[in-house]
Amino acid sequence: MRRVTLILRDDVDPYLPIEAEAISPEIFSKKIDVSVYVGNERKRITDVFDIRVDGEAAGPSATEIVIVGDCHQVKRVGEYMTNGKIIVEGNVGMHCGDFMAGGTIEIEGNAGDWLGREMLGGSIICHGNAGNYCGSGYRGGRKGVRGGEIFVAGNVGDYCAECLFGGLVHVKGNAGIHAGSNMKGGKLLIEGDCLMPCGDMFAGEATVYGHVTDFLPTFKETGTNIEDGHHLTVFHGDVAHRNAKGTLRVGSFDRI
Amino acid sequence: MDYIINNAYVVDPINKISGEIRDIFVSNGRITDEEPKGAEVIDAGGCLTLPGGIDSHTHICGTKVNFGRYMSPEDMRAGRAPRRKGMRAVSGYSIPTTYGNSYRYALMGYTTLTEGAMAPLEARHTHEEFKHTPLQDGLILTLFDGDWGVMRAVASGDIKRAAALIAWRLDAVKGYGVKLTNPLGAEMWSWGKNVECIRKPIPDFDLSPAEYIKGVIEANEMLGLPHSVHLHCNNLGKPGNYTCTIGTMGLVPDLNEKRQTCYLTHVQFHSYGGTSWKDFCSKSEPVANMVNLRPQITIDMGQVMFGRTTTMTADGPMEFNLYRLHQDKWSNHDVELETASGVIPVIYRRKNLVNSIMWSIGLELALQVKNPWQCLLTTDNPNGAPFVKYPEIIGLLMSKEYRDREFATVHPKTGSRVILPSLDRELTFDEIAVMTRAGQARALGLIERGKGHLGPGAEADIAIYPIKPEKIDPSKQYAEIIRGFAQTKYTMKLGVMISKDDQVLADNQNRTFWCSPQVPKEYDMSKDPDLIRTFDRYYTIRMENYPVEEDYYLTKSMKIETETML
Repeated sequence: MRRVTLILRDDVDPYLPIEAEAISPEIFSKKIDVSVYVGNERKRITDVFDIRVDGEAAGPSATEIVIVGDCHQVKRVGEYMTNGKIIVEGNVGMHCGDFMAGGTIEIEGNAGDWLGREMLGGSIICHGNAGNYCGSGYRGGRKGVRGGEIFVAGNVGDYCAECLFGGLVHVKGNAGIHAGSNMKGGKLLIEGDCLMPCGDMFAGEATVYGHVTDFLPTFKETGTNIEDGHHLTVFHGDVAHRNAKGTLRVGSFDRI
Repeated sequence: MDYIINNAYVVDPINKISGEIRDIFVSNGRITDEEPKGAEVIDAGGCLTLPGGIDSHTHICGTKVNFGRYMSPEDMRAGRAPRRKGMRAVSGYSIPTTYGNSYRYALMGYTTLTEGAMAPLEARHTHEEFKHTPLQDGLILTLFDGDWGVMRAVASGDIKRAAALIAWRLDAVKGYGVKLTNPLGAEMWSWGKNVECIRKPIPDFDLSPAEYIKGVIEANEMLGLPHSVHLHCNNLGKPGNYTCTIGTMGLVPDLNEKRQTCYLTHVQFHSYGGTSWKDFCSKSEPVANMVNLRPQITIDMGQVMFGRTTTMTADGPMEFNLYRLHQDKWSNHDVELETASGVIPVIYRRKNLVNSIMWSIGLELALQVKNPWQCLLTTDNPNGAPFVKYPEIIGLLMSKEYRDREFATVHPKTGSRVILPSLDRELTFDEIAVMTRAGQARALGLIERGKGHLGPGAEADIAIYPIKPEKIDPSKQYAEIIRGFAQTKYTMKLGVMISKDDQVLADNQNRTFWCSPQVPKEYDMSKDPDLIRTFDRYYTIRMENYPVEEDYYLTKSMKIETETML
């Protein structure tokens, strides 16, 4: 078991983005001395982090990466990871867990925008808030997250789970506007409130326990049910789309 | 810089040179007979040497293309290349950045591009994009399919007035030729309808598409424009539309000795049989026969190739129908009194029967039109496929074996709906040279401007491909043909080496050709009270602000003044 601890150095400029797609168990199980882009300059990772390595590597699955410090500007952590574990003790920047296919990312602080974009598998647990486009697809793309689980204990920004195609996105708090828009499969669960969700939904299941503001008129009411102690109204849609097969359950709503 | 190109295997159909090993002399940007002194010597090593490629119908600049770009940010994930020495960073596949278009065309040996459709009101945008397409000369066809002034003039039988209006607008927007996209379709689309029969007059104007097409063809010839009317027929993409296409071809008189009288574009999309998508089939045979019988017509293929692309056209109702079929992203626009447009991304799949038939039809047209000067190679980029697929199309046309191999991979029912497997013709290098440059030069009236050939005095637009025609059998070695046409060894434009292998070497070589018909005073529409009133009442912009400023928008303006018969 190898445990790599990265401690953000104090002299790092918090306003310069750091492109750190090299921080992933695949790469760290082989070598630690990788390079990252700081702004437009290529630098060694040791210029950004103090690194401590414990134990010997036995493949990505036996590699754990711990990131310490407020890394809100560190982008693309865990991109394409397939195995192993990343623990972020502070905040993390944009595009954390893009395309990940396996393994676990646990974020104790807040995550930036595009958390788990186009993820294929594995799980992301965020104990703080997540930014916009949490669990979404690429802008304009047709298939977003295809598998895996994203859990956010706090709130998420706009366009959460856009183009969701498979897997589960679970938000404990509130979501912004257009959660689950263009959904084509998978499950979205928002325990708090949200605004105008699931526009142009093709398929999949979305549930909002709280209140929906500006509920779209293109959903057809089909009944009610009780889930986990919440009384929900069940809708079918988005009927603006031909052959829509989506299900949307909401606690309460006011129409647009 | 002067050049001597030694040992070139020259195919130059306009000068009737069919594969001779020759030396080419380039001096001051032109081809000469005399050997220049102090010139750089390039050894072509027996490689295929053609005049610079000309695309007679492509969509690379303008508001439609740009709308495609911002509708499909995901397209920019493909085709990314970082900045290199002398080259900017580029991205995009079916609708790349302007530099992406320019570099890729240059590497394929193309030096002249024709934007197939520009809404006159959006002219400034189109010229600005051409300004940033650095390695090719640009011609812009201007849309007149729903121009109220021209429609009224033709309806009242006043062809001279129609010609004068066309002349004023071409001069104002710096356009090269007249494009009709689904004639009168844009006007019907304003009412949520489309043109179904070319003989049926549309309401309010009492004018049928057939009358309009004939009137505009006559007006076009009166103005002495270098290019003929460039026509996208009615009913594009509808099963059974071949009758409409043949009917339209029947309208075309023979009025010009030098070139065709009407250019029908992307005819693949207009050669459909059947009554619905269920019994959809190829009707390329009657369409090709009609072309064979009428030398006054030139067509281009509009070949469909499998893969992802973006469709964009001024044919608004057609794009709406396509949207209803695909249920994906979609946009439609209306351009005031002039035209309309629509853009949607599509994916053509081998597993899809309709797409497989479309793929066959384009090839069938090229193989059945006997005279290659009458059928030019295009994909209607990016509607049928991005232009980077041209080499594959050349491979398909030159090799029956390759066609059969590809045919085995398409939808299994395709064989009962098309005639492609029965066509044995394999095109030669001469015919490919006609279909990719010489034919275009003739169709666009560019031969007099020194394009499309390698005779003395011609502009030194030269493409040297890494193909040795004497040592290759295209019908068997189609893979080498495709690779060879995909990237030249050298591309030269007006005597400047613009690319070598995969490296672009030049910048700012582009010029814009446009036509200014010289009309007599009584036909000068800039003082016409009717036109001024139309602008005051209906346009969102004042007439004096409408013309594109030559100095500001066209960096290298090539004005062509034509003599008119008004």
